[in-house]
Amino acid sequence: MTSEIIPATLDKKAEKKTKGESTFKRVSIYTLVRLVTMMVTVTVSVYLTILIANMGGYMDVIMRNEIRENTTQGILLNPAFRNLTTDAKKELIAKKIASEEQRFGLDKPFAIRSVIYLRNALTLNLGRAINMSSDHGSKMVRNILLERLPATLLLTGTSELFLFFFSVLVALSLSRRYGSLWDKLVIAFSPTSASPPWFYGIFFILIFAAIFKILPFGGLVDSPSPSNKVLYGLSVLKHLILPALSVVISSLFLSIYQWRTFFLIYSSEDYVEMAKAKGLQSRDIERRYILRPTMPTIITNFALLVITLWTGFIITETVFQWPGLGITIFRAIGFSDTPVIVGSTIIYAYLLAITVLLLDFVYALVDPRVKLGTGGSK
Amino acid sequence: MTVLKRNLRELIRYPSAIIGIVIILLLLFVAVYALVTIPYSEAVGKWAGGEAVWYQNPKYAAPAWYNWFTSKKQPVSFLVKTADGSMKKTVTPSDQDISTMDIEYSFDYQYDSPPQELTTYIYATFADKFPFTSISWVTPDNRTIRIADYQTDHKLVVRFSQEPKLQKRLKTDQVMAALFQDPKSKEPKILKGTYRLVMTSTTFEKNSDVNVELVLHGDLFGWAGTDLYRRDLLLPLLYGTPIALAFGLFAALGTSLLTMIIAAVGTWYAGWVDELIQRITEINLVLPFLAILIMVGTFYSRSIWLMLGLTIILSIFSGTIKSYRAIFMQSKESSYIEAARAYGAKNSRIIFSYLIPRMVPLLIPALVSSVPSYVFLEASLAVLGLGDPVLPTWGKIIESAESDGALYRGLYYWVLEPAVLLMITGLGFAMLGFALDRIFNPRLRDI
Amino acid sequence: MTDEKALLHIEKLVLYFNTRSGPVQAVDGVDFSLDTNKAVVIVGESGCGKSSLAKAILRLLPRNAGTYSGKIFLEGQDVMLLDDEEYRQNIRWAAISMVPQAAMNALNPVIRVGEQVAEPAIVHLGVNKTDALSLVKKMFQHVGVPEGFISRYPFELSGGMRQRVAIAMALVTSPNLIILDEPTSALDVLTQANIFNVLKRIKKELGTSYILITHDIATSSELADDVAVMYAGQIVERGDAFRFFAQPLHPYSSALMASVPTLRGKKMLDFIIGQPPSLINPPTGCRFAPRCPSRFEKCDQDPPVIEKEDRKVRCWLYA
Repeated sequence: MTSEIIPATLDKKAEKKTKGESTFKRVSIYTLVRLVTMMVTVTVSVYLTILIANMGGYMDVIMRNEIRENTTQGILLNPAFRNLTTDAKKELIAKKIASEEQRFGLDKPFAIRSVIYLRNALTLNLGRAINMSSDHGSKMVRNILLERLPATLLLTGTSELFLFFFSVLVALSLSRRYGSLWDKLVIAFSPTSASPPWFYGIFFILIFAAIFKILPFGGLVDSPSPSNKVLYGLSVLKHLILPALSVVISSLFLSIYQWRTFFLIYSSEDYVEMAKAKGLQSRDIERRYILRPTMPTIITNFALLVITLWTGFIITETVFQWPGLGITIFRAIGFSDTPVIVGSTIIYAYLLAITVLLLDFVYALVDPRVKLGTGGSK
Repeated sequence: MTVLKRNLRELIRYPSAIIGIVIILLLLFVAVYALVTIPYSEAVGKWAGGEAVWYQNPKYAAPAWYNWFTSKKQPVSFLVKTADGSMKKTVTPSDQDISTMDIEYSFDYQYDSPPQELTTYIYATFADKFPFTSISWVTPDNRTIRIADYQTDHKLVVRFSQEPKLQKRLKTDQVMAALFQDPKSKEPKILKGTYRLVMTSTTFEKNSDVNVELVLHGDLFGWAGTDLYRRDLLLPLLYGTPIALAFGLFAALGTSLLTMIIAAVGTWYAGWVDELIQRITEINLVLPFLAILIMVGTFYSRSIWLMLGLTIILSIFSGTIKSYRAIFMQSKESSYIEAARAYGAKNSRIIFSYLIPRMVPLLIPALVSSVPSYVFLEASLAVLGLGDPVLPTWGKIIESAESDGALYRGLYYWVLEPAVLLMITGLGFAMLGFALDRIFNPRLRDI
Repeated sequence: MTDEKALLHIEKLVLYFNTRSGPVQAVDGVDFSLDTNKAVVIVGESGCGKSSLAKAILRLLPRNAGTYSGKIFLEGQDVMLLDDEEYRQNIRWAAISMVPQAAMNALNPVIRVGEQVAEPAIVHLGVNKTDALSLVKKMFQHVGVPEGFISRYPFELSGGMRQRVAIAMALVTSPNLIILDEPTSALDVLTQANIFNVLKRIKKELGTSYILITHDIATSSELADDVAVMYAGQIVERGDAFRFFAQPLHPYSSALMASVPTLRGKKMLDFIIGQPPSLINPPTGCRFAPRCPSRFEKCDQDPPVIEKEDRKVRCWLYA
């Protein structure tokens, strides 16, 4: 029956788009491209950090400390040198330090040094802390920071995931009830998202810990910590409630409002009308015609939200004495512990990059319009 | 002008807008008031001042208005001095250069607990001969208790609760309680009524003079209470207002304007300029904003101007560039732009006279809505200990409260006062920004 | 055109929209009939309420819909009486389907084209997915869309293809009536001709009836059996196409025909002075009167529908 005159020009355009667009291939190639781009971005980012840090010579200080520590330890512990006098040892140490400094390029111009620092930073070779040490006694900045990371991931992970799913689902049902009481409530409460999580943290501690005494003031677990794994887990959960609640509440109403507005705008799209005209059930319409097309936009917005959360969690952790990356940075400020501060900035950059990458990946999965190498309709 | 009026009328329909505007106007009023009544140097100086400046205040005193909410009234601090006439002084000269000064102060004590401390600061001027001062205390039931007698030096500080002779006389070291309690009641009960402090000083030289300050350290003080350094919290609360507003507004304004200009330039010139801006935006995305501020603050300087500048620089290349870019792209293709190019308008003219003005209505709600985040940023930096070293700000109050464990010690006012101000500021701008968004955002118009 | 045999019979259909400035009386008392296997073209200017009429028939009411009343008899049964759920299940797409204006936007961008066309079949015909897809393939054949396009996304198709997909989608449940709202206004002339050929063929093969809403009288004249003219929310003339194109009755219709350029014959294109009235407060009396060259005093009163040789016209000139 295809005796239709299908003009040749039209068909050529349709043909070009047949080039192997299976979802898996599309997404993996896109992710790879983004990964490479992200590595470049992180490198530039970290390099900038190093530049800023070393404007006052702080990177050099870290490096010098590192060399001195290593050399001194190396010589003192070396049995071959045990029989030397203290003075002889000192001389040996000084000579070795000088040669090491030369080896590491500390006598070279800054441009070269900065590249060395960059390489170190990218491989997370972050030096030694001045005052702080990890729970296991290590003074390596990398160990200190990485030890603290899981707690931060626990807090931010649970809050962000909860925030996302809860907001989207509530917003979806809210978009059906335009003008209702719930709708008005959410709109009225949206400005509460102007305040950061730590702000709500203070209030929550005041109410639930100081006045009502039903939840702990802060920390990760009760002390002394329960030996039983289950009890330990429960204790962590109990301590997780207030901090996570603060993070969630500080973004909740605005998020719900934003998604609900999206859904409202997109539910007036022609294809939603069409779906209604086709006589599809409202449940299906919501899922396939409102939620799925808006997913890419929602994810982009969520990415921005997550990045904002990463910015704020330092104080949130401090307010709750939550033993994560944030409070470590806070303490490092107090101690003026340069290596830790610089190191945490770098880990921070990595965290942000990974987050963006993850969300890019999900975005590619969800939006079929994403083509190789470009960002689709972002 | 009519556009402005029309939009204003539209705006007033939203109660959130009205509340927001009212809040902002109030804050502006307080800010102006603070700047006018407290000169900058005085504010900074007082804030940095220690005991010398603040000795008259008790430590950790809650605000005086707490008494409105409690049944048991707590004593409110006060300070009176002869020098400004709040304390009565009568000088009676007698023969031979000897003069007697009767200094008296009576006050009504209606509180349910004794004060923390009563202190008299006696300042005597003389050449060789020390004046002699005796202090007595008269209770409402007309008992007279001798406090102390002194040879008065140039500065004599009498802290009643630490006076050994008084302790012996009262047979207790709980001097304050003893001075204020009802002797007849078996349980400790405060005797309410008019108390009088009577001091008699005798000077032995012609130009010798004695001036007295009487300080009562109660549990409460003033409008806002005090902190651990005895500083009246009203000062940073008042003075923090213009600082918070200025930081927020400058940052929001600077960032919004610059972002818009950059987006416009990028879209207009396209090509490598556009690409470059895109790349910079991506890099900026993974640059840890707060961490860099922390680094700079710890290593270099915590000056608020530096922080402001850095904030703006790091915030310009944000994701908003993408949305502005999308809108500029649309405008770029429009016919009036084409017409402008046709008559040979310079690129800068097109950008600034045509593209950007269309953008401004969309800019306004974003600008207003972003102010709270900058206000909180400044407070966050202060809470982290990286606040401006000299300026008294709200964040600083929270920081000192937190590091002194205010919440654990029940000193809620210390944390709540700046927190509430922060919240009100945030809410005010957020509400206004919200309403503005409903009006100016074209996509929301149909809803 | 007896009403009992009619496939569709509308009586006094009213649809108002609530706006900030007042109710927009988009469909203001429309009476209308359509027989089986007939195509009626509804013409009118932009903003006369044509699209709203389509929405009213399909009960696709927007959020700000106000008054909605009247009778819609589909094969003798008043479907206005059905509740929303019954309407969804039995009428939407099962009995009446729609080809929207600008199908580009009417297709869900993130779902494959084949799936979308299959959806109504699955919902209304109760078939499983495989059977639905083979039905889709058949439909694609009817409209001239290559079978391989089933697994494509809408953005991978050209405008003309998308429109054909929309027609296929409207056909998949074999409804009796299809409402087409400006089906080709966004397409180039060649594709327009093709689409109309498709529609003609389907009408012949499947016996479908059409309501074709358009402002492009010229192209639609090929397909039309009947023509209805809509002005300011009302139908002002109704009759068979042949006599309409030869001799329109209502002054508005005459003016419309006079403004259509013809291929042959030197014709000075005419135009109609003035603007269509606002639908928020339509004037009393004949709504076309302010712009009508033939107006007289009677026109201050609302003209009744006058039947003249099986044609209906709402004009005092024929009273």
